[in-house]
Amino acid sequence: MNELNYKRTQSLILLALGAYLLYKIASGTLYFYINERFTWLVLLGGLSLLALGIVAWPRGVHAEGHHDHAHARGVWPLAILSLPLVLGFLVPARPLDSSALDTRGLTTNALVGVGGQVAVQLDQPSDQRNVLDWVRAFNYATDPVIYEGEQADVIGFVYQDARLPEGQFLVGRFAVSCCVADAFAVGMIVQSDEAGRWAANQWVHVTGEVQVGTLDGVAVPMILAGSIKEVSIPPQPYLFP
Amino acid sequence: MNRIANILGMIGLAVLGVALVLFLQNFMAGQVQVPAQFFTFTTIFLGIFIEAAPFLLLGTLASGLVEVFFKKESLQRLMPRNRFLGALAGGLLGFVFPVCECGVVPLTRRLFHKGMVPAMGVAFLLASPVLNPIVLVSTYAAYGWGPVLWLRMGLSFAVAVATGLVFALEEQPARLLRPMQLEPIRGGSVDLSVPMLQPSFAARLRSALKIAGDEFFEMGRYLIIGSMMAALLQTVVPQNALLALGSGPLLSVLVLMVLAVLLSICSTVDAFVSLAFVGTFTTGSILSFLVFGPMVDIKSVMLYLQVFRRRTVSYMVLLPMLMIILASVFINLNLGI
Repeated sequence: MNELNYKRTQSLILLALGAYLLYKIASGTLYFYINERFTWLVLLGGLSLLALGIVAWPRGVHAEGHHDHAHARGVWPLAILSLPLVLGFLVPARPLDSSALDTRGLTTNALVGVGGQVAVQLDQPSDQRNVLDWVRAFNYATDPVIYEGEQADVIGFVYQDARLPEGQFLVGRFAVSCCVADAFAVGMIVQSDEAGRWAANQWVHVTGEVQVGTLDGVAVPMILAGSIKEVSIPPQPYLFP
Repeated sequence: MNRIANILGMIGLAVLGVALVLFLQNFMAGQVQVPAQFFTFTTIFLGIFIEAAPFLLLGTLASGLVEVFFKKESLQRLMPRNRFLGALAGGLLGFVFPVCECGVVPLTRRLFHKGMVPAMGVAFLLASPVLNPIVLVSTYAAYGWGPVLWLRMGLSFAVAVATGLVFALEEQPARLLRPMQLEPIRGGSVDLSVPMLQPSFAARLRSALKIAGDEFFEMGRYLIIGSMMAALLQTVVPQNALLALGSGPLLSVLVLMVLAVLLSICSTVDAFVSLAFVGTFTTGSILSFLVFGPMVDIKSVMLYLQVFRRRTVSYMVLLPMLMIILASVFINLNLGI
């Protein structure tokens, strides 16, 4: 590829990468990838990439001055820089689901957090706690039996864990501190006669009474399901610890 | 582009090719099963890229601005020529230029060309992802004012300065850097820093942005290859098996160091991530995660390889690794924390 076309393609790729970041924000699917508190950073990155792309566009042959010795440039850098564009635009955006759980495993001793933060979260009424709050509450309590009988009202995806007996499945969420590379999964056991009927990855809304369940000998929160309803993927699929 | 990059590029494209074929199959046949892992891989890859790209941009912008707005002579006057002082100063330079591990690489290269001594550059490169105000705050938020915070800062500083001093015998940064990369940069710096007529502020800003764009392109491909490898490993290697491995004073350290390399998370947030291991892992191992991860992970090594000779990179990886293993095991065995 000659120098001029190389520079033009480079400029176009920078513009497209900037557009991709901004599109992710606009479409709301940015939250499939990173923690919401970094949105401003991605916005800044998108805008800077647009600026860099505009400046990088070669202005006529003369602007290139001493570069006009006609040596060809390889296309590899261009191809590699296009990879995020190809994968980003062609592959449908999907948040992490239970297939990622197979290599990550479920975190039962989820981060307890530090100082006062946790205490505040445990003050919430029981039906406002999400899956992570429940797992934390169980970790934090010296004896989780104190939570038995409280009402839980959570959403998450279905994970059919092979370690569970019949009549139980897990309702899971991923927690993301920065980007999905650091995601860890937390989950609650759901006890229901119809447990087997739910397909993996289906998002569900579960309500019912909380009991202490066990998974591999560890006490984990369990819901005796009063109702299980199908729901669509929430706009914010991850929890942010 | 050199041979390694070419090979890696081809591997990347091969992966992409396979992915595309799978995807098209799925598309044509309506719902032919694409392995779910492919979507996991894509999501993690894009996640790392989207998160890291703004930080890399910040680094290349800083580099472009330094190139255009600082004269070589004036910067040289500010930077210590003494190697020992240089290494110490390099360890603390992160408080002046708060860049994390993606951004520090282009900036360090630029400072080398502005006359920074090798000891200082290497110390800066290794220390600044931790010794900067942002990471200080995030580590404080996660661990409070305790041993983890100051041991993280102290150990990072000590390891970075010690590694920098190993390079103190080398006077010429050119011998550590990859030779091919010197030419275009030097060429670029000559026609800007010796202007025929003083260019306007807007013109200078334009050339700073142009340099940043070129550099983002040059470094970006290593970031992309590194993110793909990290995403691939995360999709394939079972982490829970790794985490089940150990709580011994040495094994726990090794496990969390491997995990730090594997995860390739930004140093600004790794403190929060490491909270997940508190309680099950030794304090020394958590420290090793927090000190080693910012210095060495898949994407940062990829970026180092773009700038430094391979032998230099191997020293920059192995020396910190050994020192951190020793220090962490020592902490596990001797300090009751």
